[in-house]
Amino acid sequence: MNISYNWLKWYIPEAPDADKLADVFNYHLCEVESLEKKPDGNIIFDIKILPNRAHDLLSHQGIAHELASLLNINFVDPTPKYKIPASAKATAGKPELKIEVNTNKCRRYMGRIIRGIKIGSSPEWVVKHLESVGQRSINNIVDAANIVMFDCGQPVHAFDLDKLNGSIIVREAKDGEEMTTLDNKEVKLENSNMVIADAKNVLAVAGIKGGKIAEVDNNTKNIVIEVANFDPISVRKTAQALNIITDAKKRFENDLSPELGSYAMLELSALIYEMCPEAIFENVVDIYPKKQETRKLSFSSDKISKILGLSVSIEEIKDILKRYNFEFTENAGKFEIIIPLMRLDLMIEEDMAEEIGRILGYDKIKGKIPKINFKPKINEIYSKILWVRNKLLSDGYSEVMTYAFCDKGEVEVMQSASDKKFLRTNLADGLKESIKLNQANAPLLGTEEVKIFEIGTVFKKSGEEMHVAFGNKKETREITLDEYTKSAELFLNGLAGVGDPENRGPKKTTLPMKFKMWPLFPFIARDVAVWVPEEIKSEKVAKIIKDNMGDMVIRGPELFDEFKKDGKVSYAFRLVFQSYNRTLTDIEVNEIMTKITNKIKENDGWQVR
Amino acid sequence: MNEENKKGTIHPLSLLAKEAYQAFSDMNFEIAVGPELESDWYNFYVLNFPKDHPALDMQDTFWVRDPKSGCEITEDRYVLRTHTTTVTARAIEQAGKEGRIPCAFISIGKVFRNEATDATHEMQFYQIDGAMVGENISLADLKGVLTHFYKKMLGDDIEIEFKPSFFPFTEPSIEVFAKFKGRWLEMMGAGMLHPNVLRNIGLDPAKVQGFAFGGGLDRIAMIKWGIPDIRPIYQGDLRLNQF
Repeated sequence: MNISYNWLKWYIPEAPDADKLADVFNYHLCEVESLEKKPDGNIIFDIKILPNRAHDLLSHQGIAHELASLLNINFVDPTPKYKIPASAKATAGKPELKIEVNTNKCRRYMGRIIRGIKIGSSPEWVVKHLESVGQRSINNIVDAANIVMFDCGQPVHAFDLDKLNGSIIVREAKDGEEMTTLDNKEVKLENSNMVIADAKNVLAVAGIKGGKIAEVDNNTKNIVIEVANFDPISVRKTAQALNIITDAKKRFENDLSPELGSYAMLELSALIYEMCPEAIFENVVDIYPKKQETRKLSFSSDKISKILGLSVSIEEIKDILKRYNFEFTENAGKFEIIIPLMRLDLMIEEDMAEEIGRILGYDKIKGKIPKINFKPKINEIYSKILWVRNKLLSDGYSEVMTYAFCDKGEVEVMQSASDKKFLRTNLADGLKESIKLNQANAPLLGTEEVKIFEIGTVFKKSGEEMHVAFGNKKETREITLDEYTKSAELFLNGLAGVGDPENRGPKKTTLPMKFKMWPLFPFIARDVAVWVPEEIKSEKVAKIIKDNMGDMVIRGPELFDEFKKDGKVSYAFRLVFQSYNRTLTDIEVNEIMTKITNKIKENDGWQVR
Repeated sequence: MNEENKKGTIHPLSLLAKEAYQAFSDMNFEIAVGPELESDWYNFYVLNFPKDHPALDMQDTFWVRDPKSGCEITEDRYVLRTHTTTVTARAIEQAGKEGRIPCAFISIGKVFRNEATDATHEMQFYQIDGAMVGENISLADLKGVLTHFYKKMLGDDIEIEFKPSFFPFTEPSIEVFAKFKGRWLEMMGAGMLHPNVLRNIGLDPAKVQGFAFGGGLDRIAMIKWGIPDIRPIYQGDLRLNQF
């Protein structure tokens, strides 16, 4: 979620500079995915709010509240600024707002009629705020609604009052009922979807998307504003079924406190009043059948310390609770707190361990190696895998891993980011592909015959099986791991897995080694064979080749043949040319080979075959 | 040159897995393995993922069509495991039944995520996952164990640190970072096993607690050896086997 530094500063003017703040986020709250400095001097944090804090942190005020407590700095309450003119139950001669809630999946519905608004552009600060979080200004009413959501986290909506037929009704949709969304998408609804409707039409899919019918447009004079709270599972399922993802959906599906509604109604009304000072505000109609319960939570400083592995004092905990404005009592290290209504994430003692751990900072925890009374057993399957791998390696087979996905098989995934939607039923197909690939690369690998194996899972109707496949270009064999090791079982019984001295890690550490990525362009392999007097060592010939081969040789000179005849010796070397940034031509490689040949010929009694 | 009895080359991940297993068996962990095709119970719900909850979106999951009827079954659904935490959960459950608590398990295995492939993302990769459960196992023990592990993997000058995070199966949840060649790198997720998870696998959270961790093995390989791209790891190209 995008968080604007300037917006945050409205609420926490003492906030540290942006780079310091990024550290505070990362070490005490949530990950900062990026930090962007804008040309106007503002800074945008892209922060990753995870589902446990999506109740209260998908908003600037939520973040500001948290930071104020975390950093022990002042939070500026905006409410005294909000001015709304005195309102009446209904405007003279007009019917008052009627709301019917016919489903228990709507936990609260607040509505208010505002008359005499004038659609127009928004004040500059609104436009700037919206732009800073990547939103486009549309008109004053739509913008006010968006500001409220990004400011306090409560999605809100506005309907054109003059397009409504009678009361607002919150209900389940009828199967087959249809609606056109604000962005002109036709949706077909079913009974499990919750909608906002009037006597005639569906006006909105509750908590997800508004409809075209009661859209606020440039001629709108009178509106109904909606501040509601919907069941998170219902919203999530409906949005998934309709395939609509909106900022409102993201907030509702994470569960919001219905108590947030009162504040949001106040903020939205005040914003509209700021934009339309002539407007007439009617009373808020608030359907809120079951008030959110106040919850308590008990925990002890001992348990917190035991979970964190860090001794946390009663005083430290008290300090945190005070900064976070938790009401609490404490007796001999046993705390009882009243959980703030917005903190739906706090349920159990362990949640408080996290709360205290992250606020103090996990850097306070010092690592230690635990000693437990546990006797590990040998894992039979892993032992078998190790044994098979060692056996095949020593028989000259090299190990590969290939894809588990393919385009035909017996087990199919329901949706995939790729076109390969089936799981492999054998290893052999992948192995054959790999043999083909490596055989073509044989000169690069410095081998004539490619021998490879894979140990891996295959998926059949009857379930998954661990297989071993091995082979070369002539044939491949594939059997189950159990079959392969059957003959070796006696041996296996004595063979421990990891932990056994025989398998205690690799003998030499692999640390200093560095991987070398291969070039992606084709290679060219060339051989050169030379007759030289018997006393000449191959190294001497190799040196001349090396000195003249240039910098495109990826492998070689490699001596692959050597024989003596009539007081002379023949050495045959292979050179493999390949570039990291282009395709080499035969012509240029020929030139290099000619140069090498000529250099060799300069020596008395040396002859290129 | 003759090819008589030339040894084959090992896949780098097998080599790394062997070293990782060794590092953990030094600390008394037992190796565990488990199925790749997993029930949604072990992959999600035993691990305290609520049904129909946004936490399920944190992992791009391959749901599997019922191999028998060819269509989605609603009651007992199968997935390609998205983490090997499933394996550790099964292993601890079994250990509990056998009265082998305290216990510690480590498992390395293939996991699957339904996401577009690029240099750092693959639809299949290897995860290393472990857990330790006992009376007093804490985040400090987790820090000690992971510090030992990363020193073995990446060298003695490695440092690690914890940052806050969220996973349904741990509380507190943390993200583990390691400092390698002067840079802090995100390595794995971890935390203290959530009491609901302990209950789901038959243990009493009033009596035992424990930590769990999990992260990509491929990622460690890429960092350790400087492998620039994850994709060649599963392409069956022997040029990968350099160690």
